[in-house]
Amino acid sequence: MVSRIVSLAVNDREQEFIVHPGMSLLTVLRDVLGLTAAKRGCAQGACGSCTVLVDDRPVPACLVAVETVEGASVRTLEGVGADGELDEVQSAFLDDFATQCGFCTAGMIMTAEALLAEQPAPTRADVVEAISGNVCRCTGYEPIVTAILDAAQRRRLRDGRPA
Amino acid sequence: MLSNVFMPSSAAEAAGLLLDGGWLLGGGTVVMPRVNTGAVPVSRLICLNRAGLTGITVNGGTVSVGAATTLGAVGADDRLSFLRPVIRSIASPPVRNLATVGGNLFVAQPYGDLAVALLALDARVEVVRAGGTRELPVGEPVDPAEVVSAVRFAVPAGAWRYRKAMRRKHNSAAIVTVAAAVTVEDGLVTDARIALGGVAPRPMRALAAEQALVGAPLDRSSVEAAAAAAHEGTAPFDDPYASAWYRARVLPVHVRRALLGEQ
Repeated sequence: MVSRIVSLAVNDREQEFIVHPGMSLLTVLRDVLGLTAAKRGCAQGACGSCTVLVDDRPVPACLVAVETVEGASVRTLEGVGADGELDEVQSAFLDDFATQCGFCTAGMIMTAEALLAEQPAPTRADVVEAISGNVCRCTGYEPIVTAILDAAQRRRLRDGRPA
Repeated sequence: MLSNVFMPSSAAEAAGLLLDGGWLLGGGTVVMPRVNTGAVPVSRLICLNRAGLTGITVNGGTVSVGAATTLGAVGADDRLSFLRPVIRSIASPPVRNLATVGGNLFVAQPYGDLAVALLALDARVEVVRAGGTRELPVGEPVDPAEVVSAVRFAVPAGAWRYRKAMRRKHNSAAIVTVAAAVTVEDGLVTDARIALGGVAPRPMRALAAEQALVGAPLDRSSVEAAAAAAHEGTAPFDDPYASAWYRARVLPVHVRRALLGEQ
């Protein structure tokens, strides 16, 4: 078996670790680096609970063989917000009661972060499309969609854009 | 159990590695679920994402898309805006950031909607094998020792139609997929290429429907004749999304709606 040393910038910090062939990014994050926000749901890219950003794009971490993204930059929920403060998406999820059991929350927030980085003023339909790969089995989609729209508005206000 | 994941730097190198067996790994959306459960019957994966196979070039009306280009990159390219409805009908944005154009040619029905569109576009597929490169029409079998390196097609000069019937508005497999490129000159259809997904083991051309259109105006009466002919050669199947009966029943409806641009 050919194991390899792989390095990634995870939440702006260089990390180096040994991986077995085919080890997923999700396994590395959770079991090697101890970053357990991304959840292991379906392990087949269907539930979205492991969504993280790889080079700023949201992807299901369970579908990424980590040795194939050597050198990439990875952002997880642990890398969102600064100095222990929640960012706009996190605080909107809190204020708008957008979490129930919480299993989908990390993936939902990372998907929302990617959406808002690209589209600061999404419509409701844009949000629904963006989270179409993130399953909430509590079926609490309405408050999640509302929270993402709320977060977009908070961020526009922060950035001095038209609300 | 996997023993190695190779990262070739070219399609030729990948094809050389393939001679000793293994699976090609594109975006991982098909292979990684099996890796995650240990259900991989091979010991070697040959990954294509550093093989120089990404990128889209548009020269005049001719498009060449590297096989490892993601569906997300195709959907974000303004020069290929006619394909945006196709891309947006496939899976979810995070999965589209991984899934590749080349991989979509090999996924089982009722997935592979881009492959359906490429069939309607009369795309050509470039494949590399140890010691050579060849080009073949999309849909023709590729040898197990070959690596798809690119797909090429012309931006449709005439009308382009796409419709995918699914259980939900987003992120669902096809009940029926219809893609069509139709050229109308002096009020009559001179060329029609209609491709179907979800109604056979592979994406297929609806040749009888095409014949019903050519020479006629693109109006309700000829489109209804084409829709009625669309079942010829289909072999609809049951799956968790729909029954074969239902697929056969709604196929003409979606062919008609696609060709007339109806909602």
